Amino acid sequence: MRVNWIGIYTMVRREIERTFRVATQTLLSPVISAALYIFIFGYVIGSNIQEVAGVSYITFVFPGILMLNIIGAAFASSSSSLYFARFTRGVEEILVAPFSYAGMMFGYMFGAVLRGVLVAILIMIVGLFFGAVTLANPLAFLFYVATVSGIFALLGMFVALWAQSFEQLTVLNTFVITPLTYLGGIFYSISMLPETVQFLTRLNPFFYFVDGIRSSMIGISEANTGIGVLVILGLLIGLAILVTYVFKIGWRIRA
Amino acid sequence: MNTTHDALTIENLVKKYGEKTAVDGISLSIPKGSFFGLLGPNGAGKSSTIHCITGIATITSGRILIDGVDVQEEYKEARKLVGLSPQEFNVDIFAPVEKLLDYVGGYYGMSKAERMERAEELLTRFDLQEHRKKKFQELSGGLKRRAMLARGLMHAPDLLILDEPTAGVDVEQRHDLWEYLREMNKNGKTIILTSHYLEEVEALCDEIAIINHGKIVAQGSKEEFVKDGSSLEQSYLAITKGDTD
Repeated sequence: MRVNWIGIYTMVRREIERTFRVATQTLLSPVISAALYIFIFGYVIGSNIQEVAGVSYITFVFPGILMLNIIGAAFASSSSSLYFARFTRGVEEILVAPFSYAGMMFGYMFGAVLRGVLVAILIMIVGLFFGAVTLANPLAFLFYVATVSGIFALLGMFVALWAQSFEQLTVLNTFVITPLTYLGGIFYSISMLPETVQFLTRLNPFFYFVDGIRSSMIGISEANTGIGVLVILGLLIGLAILVTYVFKIGWRIRA
Repeated sequence: MNTTHDALTIENLVKKYGEKTAVDGISLSIPKGSFFGLLGPNGAGKSSTIHCITGIATITSGRILIDGVDVQEEYKEARKLVGLSPQEFNVDIFAPVEKLLDYVGGYYGMSKAERMERAEELLTRFDLQEHRKKKFQELSGGLKRRAMLARGLMHAPDLLILDEPTAGVDVEQRHDLWEYLREMNKNGKTIILTSHYLEEVEALCDEIAIINHGKIVAQGSKEEFVKDGSSLEQSYLAITKGDTD
């Protein structure tokens, strides 16, 4: 049977329309948050900091702030959308429709990735005002934005299925995503860290997300790019298989 | 539509929730064009059976065919053949009515032109035109029920399953809805109806099955249930009470 393209497109369209329905929360909030980060860390404090990795601090820190918000937007989109659909049983609209399990996964994922991209565009516009935006490799930039959004869209879907309460929905974000993102080198170069901590940082996958987008924007990388791409693609494909499987067995959505 | 198969065939369906058996080996064949009443007390297994047919629930064992299409092996094809108006409002309560129809049409692969035409037809048919921009949560109980019916009909399925479709609907609208259902059935649609309003089942259905404790305890034509001057309600009570006892 052919792929239900119209169905998948409808899932994406619905998510984007939902994003704009609550734009203050989904778009304006991350933009204000990013603008404050850029202003305080990049502009105010950064003006008193020497160059980092050969570039101004604001230029160094901007890609990390961008990635932080892309991750948050993609995760929030898929986790809230699917959890709410479970909560109201609206997900049954998807279950009774002619979707393949992979189609369901792609429908939710693309919607969340698009929100990540939208947030990225808006923050780039803010960054332009602070002179923080450079693009050394636009194709690599798109690759990192799309794939990392995809990873967190998928993670958000898994958490939405796992969570039994709104509180649990935020657990992963609070205790895993946020700390690992901050410790992934958003605000500093790992060369500033002791060697042991540098080693630990290299075990943190978020380091490769931040370093990847930074290298695509300012052309400077502190990680092995090959390992970074492998980590990103491995997580993306692994999570896509996992989420498709849990849709197939109907984990927590089919009685 | 394949003319050689029954609209719905259920073979030895078992549905368990953990240790609890909700459906206990049901077998059923519903010919095309039937208006079929599925009756039973609360918790008898009606909704579980419906959920297994439509894909909302997984099947523990047994087989279900819709027009000869297996709902597990060929689930995508089977989903297109059936429409559901569920007992509970399983919907995004913040979405406007017209959007709900548009989205569901999209899920079933309908083009934009097809969706718009069909949605207009259903909004008019169910007197929802003036409410089309309202969020689902802003509708009255009766309007919500009509919106659910419209949603189930959006992709024009051959088999329509109505789980308590007139709960909360006023008398005038209920009779209007009956006329619409009769008209659809006359035009060849197969309809399965569950309802606690037995006069509704008596007025509409030609075949009836009664489920209790997950098993079919009686099945036959409506005439068989109302023979000897008994009403359907009297027959139903006699069967379910006797079965419970």
